Amino acid sequence: MIKVEQISKSFKGNSPVDSTIATSVLNGVSFEIARGDFVAVMGPSGSGKSTLLYSVSGMDRVTEGQVWFDGVSLSEMNEQSLSGFRLNKMGFVFQNAQMLKNLSIFDNLILPGLVAKKEKPQVIRKRAKDLMKRMDIDGLCGRDIREVSGGQLQRASICRAMINNPEVLFLDEPTGALNSEATDQVLDILEDLNGEGMTIMTVTHDLRVALRAKRVIYLRDGAIAGEKELTAGGNREQALDDWLKGV
Amino acid sequence: MKLLINLVRKDFKRNPAITTALVVFLILAALLMAGGLRVAGTMISAYDQLNQKAIPPEYLQMHKGEYDNEAVGHFAANQDGIQDFLTVEMLTINNASIIYQGETLEKVLMDNSFVVQNVGFDYLLNMDNQVATVKPGEVGVPVYYAEILGIAPGDVITLKKDDYIKDLKVATIIRDAQMNVAMTSSKRFLISPVDQLELSQKMGEWEYSFQFLLKEGVDTGVLEQAYQSANLPANGVAITGSLLNLYNVFSYGLVAMIIVAISLLLIFMAMLCLSYIIRAIMAEEQKSIGEMKAIGFPGKSIEILFQMKYLTLMAVAGIIGYLGAIPFGNFFSEAVVRYCGTGSSPGLIWGLPFLGMFFLSGMVAFGCHRVIKKNLNNTVMELLRGSGGRRREGHYTLPSSGFKYPNLTIAIGELGCKWREYGVILVVFVISAFLILLPMNMKNTIQDPSFITYMGVGESDIRIDVHFSQQINQQQDQVLKVLENDPEIEKKAIYKNGYLQAQTKSGEWQSIRVESGDQSVFPLVYLEGSAPIGSNEMALSYMNASELEKKIGDVLTVEYGGETMNYTIAGIYQDITYGGKTAKAAIDYRNEDVEVYILYLSLAEGINIDTKTNELREALPNIKVTPVPSFITQTLGGIVNNLSQVAAAAMAIALMISALITIMFLKLIMAREHSAIAVKKAIGFTNRDIRIQLAIRILMIQCLGIIIGTVLANTLGEAIFSLMLSSMGASRMTLLIQPLKAYLICPLVQLLVVAIAIIGGTKAVKHYHIKEQIIE
Repeated sequence: MIKVEQISKSFKGNSPVDSTIATSVLNGVSFEIARGDFVAVMGPSGSGKSTLLYSVSGMDRVTEGQVWFDGVSLSEMNEQSLSGFRLNKMGFVFQNAQMLKNLSIFDNLILPGLVAKKEKPQVIRKRAKDLMKRMDIDGLCGRDIREVSGGQLQRASICRAMINNPEVLFLDEPTGALNSEATDQVLDILEDLNGEGMTIMTVTHDLRVALRAKRVIYLRDGAIAGEKELTAGGNREQALDDWLKGV
Repeated sequence: MKLLINLVRKDFKRNPAITTALVVFLILAALLMAGGLRVAGTMISAYDQLNQKAIPPEYLQMHKGEYDNEAVGHFAANQDGIQDFLTVEMLTINNASIIYQGETLEKVLMDNSFVVQNVGFDYLLNMDNQVATVKPGEVGVPVYYAEILGIAPGDVITLKKDDYIKDLKVATIIRDAQMNVAMTSSKRFLISPVDQLELSQKMGEWEYSFQFLLKEGVDTGVLEQAYQSANLPANGVAITGSLLNLYNVFSYGLVAMIIVAISLLLIFMAMLCLSYIIRAIMAEEQKSIGEMKAIGFPGKSIEILFQMKYLTLMAVAGIIGYLGAIPFGNFFSEAVVRYCGTGSSPGLIWGLPFLGMFFLSGMVAFGCHRVIKKNLNNTVMELLRGSGGRRREGHYTLPSSGFKYPNLTIAIGELGCKWREYGVILVVFVISAFLILLPMNMKNTIQDPSFITYMGVGESDIRIDVHFSQQINQQQDQVLKVLENDPEIEKKAIYKNGYLQAQTKSGEWQSIRVESGDQSVFPLVYLEGSAPIGSNEMALSYMNASELEKKIGDVLTVEYGGETMNYTIAGIYQDITYGGKTAKAAIDYRNEDVEVYILYLSLAEGINIDTKTNELREALPNIKVTPVPSFITQTLGGIVNNLSQVAAAAMAIALMISALITIMFLKLIMAREHSAIAVKKAIGFTNRDIRIQLAIRILMIQCLGIIIGTVLANTLGEAIFSLMLSSMGASRMTLLIQPLKAYLICPLVQLLVVAIAIIGGTKAVKHYHIKEQIIE
């Protein structure tokens, strides 16, 4: 489904010594994500995890290499086409549940659906209500985003990401700002969605998130330091922990 | 100091858009404040110096015809309040006889007289503001002509009548504190006594001006009463110093006054923006204030630190603004300096803008103090979270039927939630529309042929003046003969103008100018009442009615030729000619008492006014023939020109400010909505969508601003215009608006300029990215 071929990404002006020097964040990263996969990208701070997520999702341009999505090169698309592509095929969840504060939670959810205009507004509204019910936040429809807890907001973010029936869900530290209980709630939802066939790629520091994934990619200094399939059954936590110690 | 510079540098690095916007606004406010005050200072200083050096009279009475010199001298000697007295002999020469570069001055329409330098007061000054002197064969030319005809020292003015030709070399350009401006319809050329004597034997008519300088504290009204009661020569207009002042200030001061007014509006605009931006920036500073409070910084120290930081920026802006105001102020004071000189009070020119900078600094310090004080009342945690005292914005609801125009719906929804933020830019757009429209409407009104109705006469095409002279009756006959049976003239009427004595409420007598003739030929719109009918009714100009305290139906007692008559006031009309003090009644003037015969002509359909004017000028070589449209513009003395200049300047300034403030405002709201823009992009909105949403918000506010500005220009503007002209005699002005220009072209130009500014100002949207929100 997604094929990442030798992508590199560097930023100019990030060097503390000389602003003309380009700092390399990703160096020749290659991997593939199959439909229905659940990939967690881990690694120390500054290893390029978020940059990789944004590069793969077409939110950011790569300096070198190609990202293919069902055979279509995201690197070749212009900004307008990429926006449309993201709107229709991808869903995003961010660490801080970024939402528009002038809209109620419900309107934040349906906004991408209404903008995409793929389906009738009634269908979008119904789906939003169903998603909210499923995430157990159906009582928050008309609420202000500042009136609800971080966990509730993050679940609302997942609903928003799902509103256009995306083919893949990208998550950047989805539990980074959540307490333990809220983290479990969100992870259960992600696991369920993946179980229903949703492709997921997430960036995380959190071992609990990685444990729900089918595959873990470990990034160090902008390059893949290791990759591990997490098989069902057995002591996944121990296996992942051992692998992370060795990678 | 190093700490402050570091703080400022850090601000620029951390939040370049907002800090740049703040600095630009500070510079703009400083420039406008210093520039406006510099113009005002120059105007006051220059006008003051001209009056000090030229010493214009405080009361003067014009007179044509014979008079008893001894009687006037005796009067002057016996009046306690008179400090000095002067009889100025003015040799009035027909414009057709004055030639410059092969062309006569007929088109200029001013009455020109040739005088010698006065002794004691009322001096004509050279361009160094020294008493001007000319040798035989030389002439000093009024600065008005230097401006409109480009006459310069070294040029030659030729005076010609029949076979007599006299060449006078221009020795100097002169400033005349009394008749400098275009609005006074007479101009004085300075010549030597020898030349004046020679000329008087060959051409021209004598006109006399009895001028009085009063002792400190003596009221001109008292002298006026005394003069009029003493039965002294008064076949001409009487002018008080205050009226002269008004003419002067109104004429060359007009541009300066309007620029000062515009500057004040712009300063107000800049102040608003400044207070807005300080509030906006301080909201961003909450975290820093919280951190300082957390580590135990005393509130006063925090306040001083922030105040010092903003005052450092203000000091830099103040220096730039003050220096920038020198060319800015000089450009707009050009007319005042040309007519009055550079002035004698450099303190006003340099000191006023300096005080303005102090005022601005005080305003910045006060703004900071208020916001910081409010912030310090919050807890450390509230400040660190950035939630302290921040006004909560409302919600808008997405349409249940889905989006037809998503960008429009979102822009309107967001505008509804954030409308308070847009108050400042709304005021900017209102003021801009007002500034553009008002001078333009004023100019249109004055230029319109119907403006003649404010000059005490109905609409007509050509005016012919036959002034008092030994041959006044022959000249009048000559005119009537030329006009007789002319098929190109549709209608005509002749009015005799003279002076008679009217009794004031307190029983004193004062001279009033009364026009006598058939008022039905060119009907006038009356403020109150109607035209006088029969021999017992009189109409008064608005200013005369106010001064004589007469209403419709009141009786006015007048005295003429030793006979006392009672007239019932039938109508009150607007008139800005002759100081606004005229009247209309059927008076049977003796021929020698007629100051001027004025004929008004209305031409047949399709006859060109200018062609007919030239034809009549040829047929009537020694008589003043004036096309009415030029009469209006020239009597209002260059005000139209000034207004054109002001209208253009106001438009340029308003458009520039609109564009600049739009860009700055966009930078500010984009910085504040950084996160929302990034979220929108992340969920599928394109850069173009976001730019369109911002554009819709700004343009909707601008449309509202233009509507409010237009309504204000038409209502408040009309009141301002009426107020300006009421001191001249027209109290109820109706602004004439060219709908195409005012309601279509001007709004479109404003919208276009702002649209271009939006295109430039929103380019940065493409750099906004959700990852920055996460990384932050």
